[in-house]
Amino acid sequence: MSVLKPFSKLPNLDTASILLVENEEQVQQGLAEALVEDSAQAVNVRLARSLPLPLENEKTRPRIDLVVFILNLTSDKSFKSANESLKYLDPGYFLGKVCFMVTNARYASGNMGRLDAVRKMAASLHCPLLFAEVQSPEGVTNAARRLLTILKVASGLVPNTSSLYLSNLTRCTKPPDIDQPSFD
Amino acid sequence: MVYVFSVDCSIRNMNDSAKRSLQRLLRRIPFRMLKTSLDKWERLTAEQRRAIDLTPTKRDLIQEILSLCEENKWTEKHIAELQMIYVAENSDQDMWHTYQLVDPDDDARSVDLIQFKEQFKSHFREVQRNVFVKIRKHTDEAVWIRIAWGEGLSPPNNLRASYVVHHLQTPYVYVSSLSSKHKPLLLQALAFSTRHRGIKDANLSGRKLTALRDLLMRQYQHVFTTKFPSPLKEQNQSPLIEKEQSGPSAKRHRMAIEAFGEGALPAIQTAVYKLETKFKDPTNETMTERDEPFRCAVKFSSTNLLESLRSCASSGIASTPLTPLLSSIPLKGRNYFVITDNAPSACSQMSQTKN
Amino acid sequence: MAKLVSLSDSDLSASSEESVSSRIHRSLRLAEQEKRKNEAEKPFVLALKYFSEVEVGTPVVGNDEFENHLAQVEKVAFSKGLSPEAVSVMLEFAMSLRMGSSPCARVLKCLIPDSVVPQEAVFRAVVWLSVGKIPISTQVLFIKWVLTVFDMIDAKDKLRAIYGFIFSFITDENLVCDSNAFKLLGKAGRQPYLLHLLSLYKVFCPELVTLSIPSRMRSGFKNHISPWKSALMALQKRGSLQVASSISLNFTLKNKTGSRKRRHRHLELPELSRVTNTGVNTEQTSSRKLVPLVQIQSFEQLLKNMHQIELPAQMGSLLGSRLALQYLDCVQDESALLRLNFWLGYALHEEFLFCTDGGAGQNAEEALQFLNKLLSAQQFLQEGFHSSDAFLYKFLNIWDGSLLRPQILGLLSNIPVIPSSRECQNEKLSCGLIECLNNMLLKWLTWHSVYALEDDLDISLHSHTSINITLSGFKDSVMDLVCFVGRLASVGLQLEGCHSLLLSFVLDFYETVCDTFLKFGLPLVVMPPPGVFYPAMFATDPVSLDRLAYIMNRYKMNLTSAKSQEKVTSHAFHISRQTYQEFNNYLAFMVNCLWNSSMRCPETDIQLSEELLAKSGVPQPWMRFDLIHHPAFMMYAVEFHQKCWPGRKDMDLNSIKQAKPWSWYLEFLFTQGFGGLKDFFQNNISRPGQELDSAQSKKQPLVS
Repeated sequence: MSVLKPFSKLPNLDTASILLVENEEQVQQGLAEALVEDSAQAVNVRLARSLPLPLENEKTRPRIDLVVFILNLTSDKSFKSANESLKYLDPGYFLGKVCFMVTNARYASGNMGRLDAVRKMAASLHCPLLFAEVQSPEGVTNAARRLLTILKVASGLVPNTSSLYLSNLTRCTKPPDIDQPSFD
Repeated sequence: MVYVFSVDCSIRNMNDSAKRSLQRLLRRIPFRMLKTSLDKWERLTAEQRRAIDLTPTKRDLIQEILSLCEENKWTEKHIAELQMIYVAENSDQDMWHTYQLVDPDDDARSVDLIQFKEQFKSHFREVQRNVFVKIRKHTDEAVWIRIAWGEGLSPPNNLRASYVVHHLQTPYVYVSSLSSKHKPLLLQALAFSTRHRGIKDANLSGRKLTALRDLLMRQYQHVFTTKFPSPLKEQNQSPLIEKEQSGPSAKRHRMAIEAFGEGALPAIQTAVYKLETKFKDPTNETMTERDEPFRCAVKFSSTNLLESLRSCASSGIASTPLTPLLSSIPLKGRNYFVITDNAPSACSQMSQTKN
Repeated sequence: MAKLVSLSDSDLSASSEESVSSRIHRSLRLAEQEKRKNEAEKPFVLALKYFSEVEVGTPVVGNDEFENHLAQVEKVAFSKGLSPEAVSVMLEFAMSLRMGSSPCARVLKCLIPDSVVPQEAVFRAVVWLSVGKIPISTQVLFIKWVLTVFDMIDAKDKLRAIYGFIFSFITDENLVCDSNAFKLLGKAGRQPYLLHLLSLYKVFCPELVTLSIPSRMRSGFKNHISPWKSALMALQKRGSLQVASSISLNFTLKNKTGSRKRRHRHLELPELSRVTNTGVNTEQTSSRKLVPLVQIQSFEQLLKNMHQIELPAQMGSLLGSRLALQYLDCVQDESALLRLNFWLGYALHEEFLFCTDGGAGQNAEEALQFLNKLLSAQQFLQEGFHSSDAFLYKFLNIWDGSLLRPQILGLLSNIPVIPSSRECQNEKLSCGLIECLNNMLLKWLTWHSVYALEDDLDISLHSHTSINITLSGFKDSVMDLVCFVGRLASVGLQLEGCHSLLLSFVLDFYETVCDTFLKFGLPLVVMPPPGVFYPAMFATDPVSLDRLAYIMNRYKMNLTSAKSQEKVTSHAFHISRQTYQEFNNYLAFMVNCLWNSSMRCPETDIQLSEELLAKSGVPQPWMRFDLIHHPAFMMYAVEFHQKCWPGRKDMDLNSIKQAKPWSWYLEFLFTQGFGGLKDFFQNNISRPGQELDSAQSKKQPLVS
């Protein structure tokens, strides 16, 4: 089983590479196109359903600067698959190079349990948790822009910042009680 | 709704019931479809049609046609025609059930429309008096039959007529709005007039008549299972985007195509599986130990179920290869299955219904 | 809750016993009169008499007398409708369970009023409801009946007082449904009204209702009020219903729009409309005359009628009317706010949280307008509604950072102080966000200065709620917010390459922060983090630097004032040594840099080694950020140079450093509108020797 490592390869000049992991493969493609289109720098996008990544691509694969897990909140399998995949990531990735992107949160907002589980996972791994409105093209573009902001930092394209520094602010925290303000 | 009473008080003649059923029919048809249906009816002169085209509201239009009805002395027969036109144009509004003709007689292949018509009507005439049957050949060679049933001595109920669609020389019949009481009689008449010895439920139903027909007549892109994987269509995508697991996804895609074909699929909306199997769950002893089967029904629904299933399989939401339970919908041409434990074959727990 | 209710319940029944019995007597008198008038109605009068007098515990089964009388009442009810008195008698009979619960539902079903429903009767029935012996199905039936005839109840002043109770009953009812969900659903199937109640409940406690409820319920009660509705319509047709026309009109209209645009119904603010449509019986039952809000046209009229305003039938309509909001603001009517919040919370949840079409499609425009209306209402009231706050707490958890951003940020800046330990996080850094947070801080501080003046310890959170927060709790919250924005701004400035627009918004924020003590009376001083200070200090535009000077100057005023207060009063707040130190370091750096052409700055966390500076190859690096060579001021220095020595060919900016030209240069700068620098200069440079803390201050700048 090969574990993906953040620093095992040299980066390409002025290029950022992002890996989108989504079990359903519904949003992936659209998001990838938006990422490539929207960025001033060259962005390599790799798509996968789950980790580990196949060994035969090892050589052609660039250094992955940011791993994004896309979680569909209406599906249980989505969460399970992402959870399974996590162990194939080098711990180095969790210093600001992994983020979770939740889709369809408003469709499933009746199901608070699932959202809570996702939040717990993101908080325990100190990763940012993003939400995306993937039903509309604007929502996808917006999601791509947010990912690009993080990706640029993670790939070292922004001077004076590092992904670890950024993640200090953006990582998910789990407030004690999410629904109610705690004064009553 | 005032005109209901005005009609009631005016004249009470033989035409009255026709007029009333015409009125009810007209009210049921949406305004924008009403005009096209009237155009196809061919009971109106060009001038009358022009006058109708200019009528802005549905209410006025109904009044207009009702007065024409009086003028032209239209009968139930004429109104039945109009209703048939409307139903044929809007067949999606009813639920259609499929029956299969079996054991053809030797001369079954030579039955033509005139023969069929005569046989069908005469069969009804022998058995039940007050049934009003109208047979019409539709543009796509389908024979449309409209049957208004009468109870006992009461006149036929024109508002709740049953419809039958049949393509001559094919073994399938599509029926809508049929009550179980009239079912034996109708099926008997159908078998008789098409020169078959038996007719059985084909376990296929849906709202889209054309989809049912396409599925049964295999009028969609066929599946040729070959041993060699078909070359995957190249997607033109940016060189910057690359799929890591393209192998498995291509395999899934191929399997989905093997099960359902590549082209557009007939729009079947539902598939129902009635389970009469024993409850199996090692963690739940009380349920597993019960002797009688656990009865439940599983219903899949979608605007186009087969295409949904195909995309589920190719996108990996459903694991491939798909269970034969699902992939047998197009193969067997049915969407209602009863599953029991008794089936001896190990690969599939499906058994035929006794019909 | 249950205990409380049953206690007050006995009181209530005792006090209202008399009025009801007198009502019954009166009704009998009336009935007597009518009897004389019309002998044909005799059986009906007898029937009413029977139901008002029947003994407790009379059997129902095989009781022909009961059967006949009830049949009589039913006949009259469906043909002519029941008079208010008859409704009272029958409702009282049914709800008191005098003959057990079996006839209860049957009686409820025939309660078709011919004119109005007396408030007393409903009020009393609610009391009976809380006694708790009525079967659930009948309770639900009663609630449905009340909803159906709600607009026909003659007055609602007393009823309004028990809204809270009715709502809690609905919630309670849901609890019953919830715990017995399987039993109930198994028995009754998925009754739309049960599901509807559950969906209401789900809005409040989604974690308790595990059932999946179709997000778009087909108006739950609609089918179930139809028996009464059709009877009412039938009565109206026959002309025997006195109230009527507008009620039934309401029914039909509602249904029409409902079926066509059911999905968007929450996003339309309802029209202001009256509750009751009769003027006739209103005076009879309620002592004072009520003026419906819809009739109020001007502020003067509002003031005149302030004491007798009748709230509209649909509280959502208040949002669209300035006068109504004014009324809400002045009167602080608990029940009105409760009703409004209930409606608003439900609408927000339905449309933005439990949505099926993503909300981004066709109704985006409507959603926008709805939120803008809500925002303008909140701005008008200068505070947020509870329900919109509660909605925000949930919505922010799943927000993608861009959907309806201006509106959401607007709502966000209205939320009241959040006790600390709670942190909202947002990855999208933008000027809008900083602005929103600045507004939020401003609102918190303003609110503090308004409400905390009298009492320093306890502050109520909303002007109309009793939730309190202590001063130190409030300070913690503000501190958290300021620190959070500090971190956010540091990262944001770094990511955006110190974008001057973003910097400007950040400085806006610190203009609020530096004055918390003097301007808002909050004893708290928080310095900006280095990530904000240095980018502003080295900004290429003079305006940012000028504003930084202004901010530093205000910090100084606040600190000095705090310090002097500390000396005078013993219980004044204490500012930590670290804050002073931070301030002194910044100040020293600024003065050294701008005036003394020296980059040296001891005791700060940032130290530049000489070798590193030498490596840059810049000659005399320590001079690069003085007032002459600072990139923001170079242009002014050049201009000054040209004006001062017009004949000179070689430009030597260093010549400005001589004593005279330097002071002229400063004067020149101040005339260019750099007020911040001027104040800074006057307070920190010309009067040396003023020290802020015992810590050695390195700021004795010499204007050389």
